[in-house]
Amino acid sequence: MNVKLLLSLMFGLSVIGQASAQDDLLKQLDTVKPKEKQVEIAAFKGLQICNMQSTKLAAKGEWYVLISHRFGDLTEGLDNFFGLDDAYTKIGAIYGITNGLSVGLSRQTNNKIYELTAKYRIKSQEENGFPVTVVGYNTMDINTNLSTDIYPNLEFNNRLAYTTQLLVSRKFSDRFSAEIAPVFIHKNLYDPTTERDNQFVIGTGGRYKLTKRLSVNLEYAARIDAQENDVYHDLLSVGLDIETGGHIFQLVFSNCQTMNDVYVFSNATGKWNGGSIYFGFNLYRVF
Amino acid sequence: MGKIKIFLIVLCSILVVSCESNTYSEVSGQTSNPTYEANIKPIITSNCTSCHYGTNQFPNLETYSGVRSACLVNNLVCRIEGEDCGIRMPQGGKLPQPNIDLIKLWVSNGFVEK
Repeated sequence: MNVKLLLSLMFGLSVIGQASAQDDLLKQLDTVKPKEKQVEIAAFKGLQICNMQSTKLAAKGEWYVLISHRFGDLTEGLDNFFGLDDAYTKIGAIYGITNGLSVGLSRQTNNKIYELTAKYRIKSQEENGFPVTVVGYNTMDINTNLSTDIYPNLEFNNRLAYTTQLLVSRKFSDRFSAEIAPVFIHKNLYDPTTERDNQFVIGTGGRYKLTKRLSVNLEYAARIDAQENDVYHDLLSVGLDIETGGHIFQLVFSNCQTMNDVYVFSNATGKWNGGSIYFGFNLYRVF
Repeated sequence: MGKIKIFLIVLCSILVVSCESNTYSEVSGQTSNPTYEANIKPIITSNCTSCHYGTNQFPNLETYSGVRSACLVNNLVCRIEGEDCGIRMPQGGKLPQPNIDLIKLWVSNGFVEK
């Protein structure tokens, strides 16, 4: 009897053992199953590269308050204290309606322009999956400086100008990200001696992280088939991102003093080789 | 996604509305005898006096005599036309050509005040 009892006990144990071994096998099967594709995050720290937009969006329910300055011509030296005498200011806010859609409103000194913006993610970059992040961005400017005293035939729609942008970025490594952005600009009022009513631009930008909280940024935007003149030039900026708790502080050196996207991409007045350069910063505070 | 689609549709419809472009000369008034009060002062006020007021930035462009003297002594026309006399004014972008032409006409007509 004792032998039988012992055998049946051993049998019982082995059954339990096998069952648990099967569990292990099932677990193994689980691990063989392909992983969910992880979304690459934080190709850029700031919402902007320098003047251009990055593919970063505000998260759902987040408020970003934006204060930007661009000082006057740096190359004038002490005459205007390296531009600090002649500052332009942009102040605005951006709100994340969802994680993939945010809207913004800002106002800048030059031409008293109000800029309405919408930014929406179309596709995210994935680890071992989709190679790039694709974000759409639209801006609409309202120029409130135009006066019917000067322009008696002015109508409200002449105050408007638009950009439509497709921002495509790739995070190549933890340190290096790059972006390319086809941009279409439309102006309802333009000066045919210096600019076009419809203008295509190819914007490019990149960031390289120096340390955890510091990165260096570069952007260049080429106007396609732009009007030949010596007034406006292609955008070229270099910047430094400094991240502190809750703040993103971006130092910018650019040949564009104005801060609305329409002017940034088509009306940069400065020139890096022997023209005006402007220093400034973007300050973002997240709530 | 639903919300985004609705938003995009609204946005696109806003963008489609009113996309016809005009040039500055199309919306400008035409005159062969511009006066300071009627034509020049509005241009100066909306483009220059946010900096050139009081003693903030020389020259003061708030008055008829200030603007006249800036044209005669301080190369105002040259500064708004190009970069031969220093960096172009106003900062931020070139004045639309019809405004420059009007100021030049006003200068060559002898600074008519009213």
